[in-house]
Formats: sequence, structure tokens, C-alpha cells
Amino acid sequence: MTSLLYWGEVVVAVASVVLGLVIGYQAYRGFRRNDSRSMQYLSLGLIFLTAVPFTLSFVGTLVINFQPDLANLERYLLAASRTIQLVGLGFITYSLYEKP
Amino acid sequence: MSEDCDDEKVLALLDDEYARAILTATSAEPMSAQTLSERCDASVTTIYRRIDRLKECDLVEEQLQPQPDGNHYKVYASRLESFSVSFEDGEMRADITRAEAEEDVADRFTRMWQDL
Repeated sequence: MTSLLYWGEVVVAVASVVLGLVIGYQAYRGFRRNDSRSMQYLSLGLIFLTAVPFTLSFVGTLVINFQPDLANLERYLLAASRTIQLVGLGFITYSLYEKP
Repeated sequence: MSEDCDDEKVLALLDDEYARAILTATSAEPMSAQTLSERCDASVTTIYRRIDRLKECDLVEEQLQPQPDGNHYKVYASRLESFSVSFEDGEMRADITRAEAEEDVADRFTRMWQDL
């Protein structure tokens, strides 16, 4: 049961990273194609909000699974993820007010 | 389809040598006004004037050609696939087939985000 839940989490995490990267990439192309500053911040924000924290926590969990003595790092990883997400949201907010 | 462009206007436009040349050339691949000017042996001003009329009738679409150096330029692509006229039962019927407008996902995304 735990392993099913674990693999479910892995699938969700990977799917989130992929989707986050797809949207972030399209925003980046929008920035390149239309010289749009707001799209540049949006793409950065989306990637910071999705792909980076998920990858971080996924890699962190993997490391802790193999190195149980690093378990106390988990709190810092979580804090780092949350901070990166906040920065991502900051970028997206800024992109809303930034002129094209 | 724009309201201010009826079948007669399209017919009149197709009667124009340069408009036809633009539609023919850009049916193969999108081209800049400069390239069209050379292909159609017309001044750039003439090309732009025809493109304006063609755009009014939604027969040509404008695209931005991204360049690595950031100096994007505009290219034009034909949207007209076919135009046919038939005379039957005392009526004239015109049929226009346009190519499916294909907006790039990134461009649509940009437009959506900027319109917020």
C-alpha cells in the first residue's frame, strides 16, 4: 500500500514537472517570438513554481531514502522548495504588471 | 471573414495582377514584403498597398519571423486556398476556401497573458 502511494507520488511529481516545463517553454517562446518581457517573467515564474521545487523535493526524497542519516535535511529542502515557489509566484505577479 | 469585404471585392482584388502574384508566391511559403517586391517585380509600396487590401479580405495573414539576433521581421502568408464562381439557376455563387488559421501556441499564450 505504501509503495503504491509512493509510486503514485512519483508519477504525479514527474507529470507536474513535465507540464510545468511545457507551459514554461511556451511562455519562453512567447517571450522570444514577441519580444515580450512579461512572458519572460511568466516563463521563469512557472518553472520556479512547478519544475524546480518538484525536482528538488523528488531528488531530496531519493537521497534521504538511500542515506537515512540525512533525514534532518528534509525540513530545509521543504523550506527551500517553498521559497523557490514564492519567488516563482513573485515573478508571475511581476509579469502581470510589467509592460509587454 | 470581415464584414466589409464581400465576394465582389474579392473578385475585384483577384483581377489585380499584383494581388494575384502575392497570393501565388505566398501560397508556397511566407515571404517578406521585400522578397515579394523582387518576386512580383513591383515596388515595396505597391506590395504593401496590395497586402493591406488582401488583409482586409482576410486573404493574407501577417506573421512574425523570429530571428536569433532579435530583429524579427514580418512575413506574409496566403490564406486563400481556392475561389470559385458558379452561375446556376439564374444566380451567381462565389465560394471562398481559406486555409485554417494556425496561430502558434506561444503567440496565443502571449496574447492571452497580455490581455489579462
